Amino acid sequence: MLPLYLLTSAKSKEILIELKNGESLNGELVNCDSWMNLTLKNVIQTSPNGEEFVKIPEIYIRGNHIKYLRLPEEVMDYAKEQNMINMEQRNRNQKRRGGNDQRNYNNNNNYSGRQGGSGRERGGNGGHYRNDQNRNGGGNRRYNNNNNNN
Amino acid sequence: MSQSPIAAQPSQSQPSQAKDPFSPNVEDLYLESYAFTTAAAIVGSVDRKVFVLLRDGRNLFGILRTFDQFANLVLQDVVERIYLNDEENSPTKFGETYRGVFMVRGENVVMLGELDIDKEDDHLENLKQISFEEAEKELKIVHEKTIKEEGIKGKKLLSKGLINDFVKSDLY
Repeated sequence: MLPLYLLTSAKSKEILIELKNGESLNGELVNCDSWMNLTLKNVIQTSPNGEEFVKIPEIYIRGNHIKYLRLPEEVMDYAKEQNMINMEQRNRNQKRRGGNDQRNYNNNNNYSGRQGGSGRERGGNGGHYRNDQNRNGGGNRRYNNNNNNN
Repeated sequence: MSQSPIAAQPSQSQPSQAKDPFSPNVEDLYLESYAFTTAAAIVGSVDRKVFVLLRDGRNLFGILRTFDQFANLVLQDVVERIYLNDEENSPTKFGETYRGVFMVRGENVVMLGELDIDKEDDHLENLKQISFEEAEKELKIVHEKTIKEEGIKGKKLLSKGLINDFVKSDLY
């Protein structure tokens, strides 16, 4: 799942944004778009030196100003669930359409097999390894959500 | 890295549901095209512990979960660590703090690399750990010094007709 999908699944959660100029904004995410433009509500804005605070009921942030975002931990689990639900729906739809475009994934080498190149129009997908599959392969330290490697 | 993401593999004709007892008919995402090849090199680091250097000089250590073609990254269990150097620019102290889930906008990343979790903390044995707040304060002083020096350098170079390219927000 792409980072921007994760952001969309964080809607109505509290997030912290740090802007490129060092200001930070703490508030509830109302909406976001594919350029990472955001609207937040009930925002507390902190100056770069960490001393001044302003309360803002609603704010719009242009995506290119963002340095990073901090999301609550639950968002990861919530997003994974959403992802699985979407995947299952997609699978069911594909089967209904006659299952000829079954995509085959080779997981033996911890690396997904590649489909012949019709995907050029699609904005590329980030590689993503599902966490709840067991992985083999000596020396690979994959972090599954089931096994917490500290 | 144990496998090269660039090598083309013919898609195998295994039905995706049949063999894996753990998968509830869910498919992995995969890389359909390598059009964005530079960011595609990141795919080998997914679900592994990585360190990320940001343009403002921050060092983040965490598990890379996802990324996209701009190298926007989603990291989990992130620890931010500040290293402080002595006069000879070798590290003596460090401070760290737990941050949680991070989504970093790709343009702010300088570099990222995979960590060997067996060896990742070895270098810390020789360093003194201080509180993160202290480390932050010291780092701020270092940054201010750098900015001042670069300002002076810029003026000197300018007087010779050269331009010093320094941006205050790029402190890496």
